[in-house]
Amino acid sequence: MVGRILVVEDDDRLAEYIVNGLAEHGFTTDRASDGRDGLFHATDADYDVVILDRLLPGMDGLAILKAMRAAGIATPVIVLSALGATDDRVDGLTAGADDYLGKPFSFAELLARVHALQRRGKGMSVPQQSSLRCADLELDRLSRQVKRGARRIALQAREFRLLEYLMMHSGEVVTRTMLLEAVWDYHFDPGTNVIDVHISRLRKKLDEGEAMPLLHTVRGAGYRLSAD
Amino acid sequence: MLRALFSSTIARLGAAIFLFQLVSSGAAIYLLRAQVQDLVHEDRTRQVLDVRDDLLATYYEGGADALRNFVSRREGSVADPLIFVALSGKGAPLLSNVEVLPRSISAKRPEPVTVTSATGLPASEALAMRTTLPDGSTLVVGASTATERGLDLAFAEAIGLTIALTIGLALVSAILLGTLISRRTHAIATTAEALASGNFAARVADGHAGDGFDHLRRQMNLMAERIDELVRQMQSVAGTLAHDLQSPVARLRASIETAMAADIGSEAEIALSMARTDAEALQDMLSAALELSRLESGAIIDRRQPMDLGEVTADLAELYEPLAEQSGIALTWDVVPLRAQIDRELMSRALANLIDNAIKYGGDKIHVSCRGEGDIAVVSVADNGPGIAESDRDRAIDRFTRLDNARTRPGAGLGLAMVAAVARIHDGRLELSGAAAEHGGGLVSSIRIPLG
Repeated sequence: MVGRILVVEDDDRLAEYIVNGLAEHGFTTDRASDGRDGLFHATDADYDVVILDRLLPGMDGLAILKAMRAAGIATPVIVLSALGATDDRVDGLTAGADDYLGKPFSFAELLARVHALQRRGKGMSVPQQSSLRCADLELDRLSRQVKRGARRIALQAREFRLLEYLMMHSGEVVTRTMLLEAVWDYHFDPGTNVIDVHISRLRKKLDEGEAMPLLHTVRGAGYRLSAD
Repeated sequence: MLRALFSSTIARLGAAIFLFQLVSSGAAIYLLRAQVQDLVHEDRTRQVLDVRDDLLATYYEGGADALRNFVSRREGSVADPLIFVALSGKGAPLLSNVEVLPRSISAKRPEPVTVTSATGLPASEALAMRTTLPDGSTLVVGASTATERGLDLAFAEAIGLTIALTIGLALVSAILLGTLISRRTHAIATTAEALASGNFAARVADGHAGDGFDHLRRQMNLMAERIDELVRQMQSVAGTLAHDLQSPVARLRASIETAMAADIGSEAEIALSMARTDAEALQDMLSAALELSRLESGAIIDRRQPMDLGEVTADLAELYEPLAEQSGIALTWDVVPLRAQIDRELMSRALANLIDNAIKYGGDKIHVSCRGEGDIAVVSVADNGPGIAESDRDRAIDRFTRLDNARTRPGAGLGLAMVAAVARIHDGRLELSGAAAEHGGGLVSSIRIPLG
């Protein structure tokens, strides 16, 4: 799945790092180094995702975002900010951002979020189906039951939400931060391997004794629920 | 408050006021008494002289018989019961209003003598003078000063009343003064206390009395201003430093990742992965320092909303429970629903810090609880590890302190300072205490915030 990404970032080395990384994963990228240029690009061409730095020379990234939304451009936007705190995140989301990533971030984190947004932007996201499926794993949202083949899997409330999120993004890399935000609604990094342990508990319930594991760890990035 | 009012200073002040008033009014009464006595003395002297002149006039007009008649009939000026007259000479001495005539009476002017009154009263003080008449007889005229005793009694009464009034007044003025002083010093002391507890924005309220208290208040505020400025500068330097270091560290980490993506030898990869771990740790520390300086500067938007603190606590305990179990630690929790004004994100981060610390440095048991104590909600994280020595607890919260204890090494040290900052944002505080020995004797970290 390739796509076209606009990177609005004034720091040359960070921009280069993002652009190179995206290119390696098959994306076509344009880069704008200031707000005016960024706004021009965003209104000019059709992008899958816009990566927008919040602190740009002479302009707040959020002003560009607002201008884009005012102009009717609905392209998904990820706001990057060195001010990673809650206040800025809320401001960003209020201004119309689809996702918010505090600096410092790892490239894997950014990539996972770009993929997720790209899918959403293309209308490929899972609609509110009453049941989700991945290989022989089935999750029923109404009865809140989970089955692997014929085996019933008993999950606690939080485990159910964790699996639901993973299944909604099956085939994609989901990072620890994305899980923390979506399942626990926490926007800070509790450090250590808090999420890993939840995943391994879930994995035990899903995959133990099965020939084909479904919940995979993607080294240096996160997890992926998929049949392969 | 009442106890404080009657504390030694106030009591001493009251005693001093009492003594001062007593001495001054005592002196005034004494002076008044002496003057009144002088006046009475003068009056009596004049009365004695007047009576004598009257008697002499009678003598010169009517002779010795007329005088004797006048005296024995007790007419005119002799009618006064205080006046006594003795006439000796021809025949028996004529005594009026007096039993025994005192000896040695001055002829020059009325002088104090002791006389025995005819009415059977005990001997009393009197003023008397002697006049020798031309026929050789002696006329003694005196006036009793006994009524002055009554005057003394009145004065004694006045002194008693004065003492009673003085005690009352001294008490009232001591209480008034004490209240005034303690009210004015209370404001200053409260401010000093707030400053000591780290609230450098505290100031003493304005006063315009222009007295010593105002001077003290102004100096206090100047001092607070200076401390505030220094702390702010220090925090701003730390914050700026953390902020400025973020970008180079981010680029460093990016470079390391780029290098690792290239196909390189395994030795270089090991070195790079170690470098990446360090770069990540550095980034985490910078983020923590930056976040702390934001929290401490108060430059964050108040996002508190009324919610159930018990639920916030339970959610976080639940998040950490699997990690604790994996580390061989039994994490249990016990919460009651308590509504309070909470910034869920910040409160969760603070709790995460406390639980994370307990997992890293505590023993094999952690108990998280949320309970109410009066109008205060208390969230506690208790472990059964080595704890922190009582003398080190205050310092442990201080961001600039490094204890020799692993618990407060970089990250964790800022961690406790961060928890304290979050507690303050919630109008509460962080309290470190030791668990009772029967509960493992570890550290109990409690966030105490007001309910409501």
